Amino acid sequence: MSVRTASVRRRLAAAVALAATLLGASACDAGSPDPAKPTQSKYQEGKLRVLASSELADMEPVLKAAKAATGVGVELTWTGTLDAAEQVASGKADGKYDAIWLSSNDYLRLRPEAAGKLSSETPVMSSPVALGVRAEALARLGWKPEEVTWSAVYEAVAAGKLTYGMTDPVRSNSGFSALISVASGLSGAQAALTDADVKTAQPKLKEFFAGQKLTSGSSGWLATAYAKRGDVDALVNYESVLLSMNRDAKAGLTVIRPRDGVVTAHYPLTLLTSAPSGARESGRALTDYLSGAEAQKAITERTFRRPVAAGVQPAAGLAADKRRELPFPGTRPVADGLLASYENELRRPSRTVYVLDTSGSMEEEDRIGRLHSALTELTGTGDSGTGQRFRDREEVTLLPFGDKVKKVLTHVVEPGNPGPALDAIRNDVKSLRPEGGTAVYGSLKAAYEHLGRGNADAFTSIVLMTDGQSGDKARDFDSFYAGLPDAQKRTPVFAVLFGDSDRKELSHITELTGGRLFDATGGNGSLDGAFEEIRGYQ
Amino acid sequence: MRRILGIALAVLLLGGVVAVALAGGKDEPATATKTVKGVIGSEKSAYFRDSDVVKALADKGYTVKTETSGSWAMDRLALKDFDFAFPGSSEPAPEIEAAAGVKGAQTTKPFFSPLVVIARANAAKVLVDNGLATTNGKNSGTLLMGPYLKAAAEDRKWQQLSGSAAFAELTGTVFIKTTDPMTSNSGALFLAATSNVANDKTVVSDDAGIERTAPLMQKLIRVQGALEPSTDDPFRAFISGSGEPLILAYESQVASLLQQKPAPGVTDGMVVLYPDTTVNSPHTFVPISEKAEELGSLLANDPKLRELAVRHGFRPQNGVPEFTAATASHAAYLNPELTGIRQVSAPTVKILMALAARAKS
Repeated sequence: MSVRTASVRRRLAAAVALAATLLGASACDAGSPDPAKPTQSKYQEGKLRVLASSELADMEPVLKAAKAATGVGVELTWTGTLDAAEQVASGKADGKYDAIWLSSNDYLRLRPEAAGKLSSETPVMSSPVALGVRAEALARLGWKPEEVTWSAVYEAVAAGKLTYGMTDPVRSNSGFSALISVASGLSGAQAALTDADVKTAQPKLKEFFAGQKLTSGSSGWLATAYAKRGDVDALVNYESVLLSMNRDAKAGLTVIRPRDGVVTAHYPLTLLTSAPSGARESGRALTDYLSGAEAQKAITERTFRRPVAAGVQPAAGLAADKRRELPFPGTRPVADGLLASYENELRRPSRTVYVLDTSGSMEEEDRIGRLHSALTELTGTGDSGTGQRFRDREEVTLLPFGDKVKKVLTHVVEPGNPGPALDAIRNDVKSLRPEGGTAVYGSLKAAYEHLGRGNADAFTSIVLMTDGQSGDKARDFDSFYAGLPDAQKRTPVFAVLFGDSDRKELSHITELTGGRLFDATGGNGSLDGAFEEIRGYQ
Repeated sequence: MRRILGIALAVLLLGGVVAVALAGGKDEPATATKTVKGVIGSEKSAYFRDSDVVKALADKGYTVKTETSGSWAMDRLALKDFDFAFPGSSEPAPEIEAAAGVKGAQTTKPFFSPLVVIARANAAKVLVDNGLATTNGKNSGTLLMGPYLKAAAEDRKWQQLSGSAAFAELTGTVFIKTTDPMTSNSGALFLAATSNVANDKTVVSDDAGIERTAPLMQKLIRVQGALEPSTDDPFRAFISGSGEPLILAYESQVASLLQQKPAPGVTDGMVVLYPDTTVNSPHTFVPISEKAEELGSLLANDPKLRELAVRHGFRPQNGVPEFTAATASHAAYLNPELTGIRQVSAPTVKILMALAARAKS
């Protein structure tokens, strides 16, 4: 219990740090992390602190107008659906947030202890999870968009004619919704999914997920990563995100809502019963404003979500023909069973390399201790829930470096018997000692070389954690990277800002490799949070 | 495990409370007002928040502050904190009175709203063509509970009903999207009505009745998967063009929407089906403190407040003529006289909650 609680706290800290980053706030002082004070915002009158789904970043103009009209400002902290459920159910969200605004509360409601913490759930807008397909792929498949079913998508994937990107269902609601849709379509389930349905669909689901070439911890980053890669045929995402990509980036995707059913996000703005009464009053004012005709019109026209107010027309481009709504599982065992099955059996396995700075400076401020604890956290415990430890079939490599690569330590988590590999990783983590300089680029090269030698049919990724500036030259790495075969260039580097690391240097690496930068300079727990969040991208 | 679940549930019900601070501000009249605090079913939230209602109450010397709770859970709240309770049906009233220590209090029943099933034209046509419903004209009709429940008991799929093939959205098991019967009044009353039909048209009143009807109740509830906490969610989904083909709602939601004169597209394809068996159960005002003693009859009798209740789609006490007159231009959707509808009583709270628990298990 305490492990879980600690993990939630750390994730919370990381989420806050990330929110601060995204909103351009300067709540975290990189130079002097203060372990006693998490960067947590206090309640202020007229400000609503909201735990929210990350794709709501596109609501900024609407929220600005809401502030002008109601005086209520909104402070959004991004989170995944399951993580939010954990924070609310465990009580960690009490007093820290006034409201939650997720794509869906369905998973959260499966936790009985969460329900007493929610009030005034008001759906604000809706968007189904759909499939965006490139024109070439559509022509190749000869599809009529209005007739495509999830079964047809499966057949195209199984025949090797279609590849796609999708978010990690354990971290992101669009991926979870897609998983439910496909499992419903392929099992022939006629009502809410049961364990038996999931079992029936398993062989086909495995073939289906062999076609997933891109994963992500959030719907927003998935869209960015997809745009950078030209070799993935389709993208599973909210209809709103796909249409926005067409408008903003001329993505040219044909948006398909499969004929056999969709799972729709309704974005219920939900107050927490623990919030101060002033905050609840603010929440109510905001809800009223967002439900009004003016805001509903702005929402659909700017974000391509569907309005929920009678009399407001959906934006042009939103098809009017109806789809069956596929039910969300009604019990937690079914929902969790589906997620566990995806994580440990259905998805392509991961090959993950941790390039770890263990230079002499890691001794300062017990940075090495924090690294030990952050990595140990990822190995979970014997009965870790889905997403709380390295996955079955995952190949995990620790590559500690100083002046040069010190060791290359690889373990594969065995399905049904994860204990030995997890223990071995924990022991390797304990053996990491701070000593030597900071050869970032040479070590990254070694990581790419390591990944180049093994199973190519896996999600490969590199996590780079460094607390200082590199001692070797970026130019060498750039030319090495330029010379890699295309398949290897697709391995992204997720870099973690920590200690005195150089933001510019790390941004350069993540931009070059199509990865993403994570900020762990927010004090105690932020490194754990960053490592935990990166799991969604691996 | 059951036991823990029960406790968790109690906590959950207790927690479903919202503070709705009302009125006050610049509208405050010069005369001295009484501030009364009440706990209400969420379906009346919009009514009490309407600025015209706030003003009408202030004119009579009241500032009313409300919190919302599931009607079937009010007896578990700290009722000492409130001057009145106003559940969405009469059944919970005795439990509320007992819990508040005001047994035999002078309750009033200011208004009523029957449950309806909203369907889109495609779905309604398929139901009618297969003998599960009848329609009078384009926008209203009757859901035939006997045939409908028989179909549910047999796990009938839309694709087994003739005429459904033309409509992509009509596949999968036929069900009515309800709210959670353990926390929400509409979901609970739906079980009250369906269990009556399944129990040879008598109110379920004992364990034998529960045993007899529980399997069907499970079929009605479990197929839906995750359940919504209030009728607002599925209703909004319906309006936004997504969601299930058959939605359980209060007549007041429909009548209120119609009176707001929405764009034609929204209500053109809407068919309002009145289940042929419905629970006749008025919203019941339970005064807890002396301060609120007169408020119930004010809500029930004040002409202005009655008119405003109608605007929010409710039927005031003995107010069928007012309701009919106000909704005359929307008569095509409504059945003000409840012609052809059998009105039945609900089981006791205890029995109904036992049924709801079985249905969800």
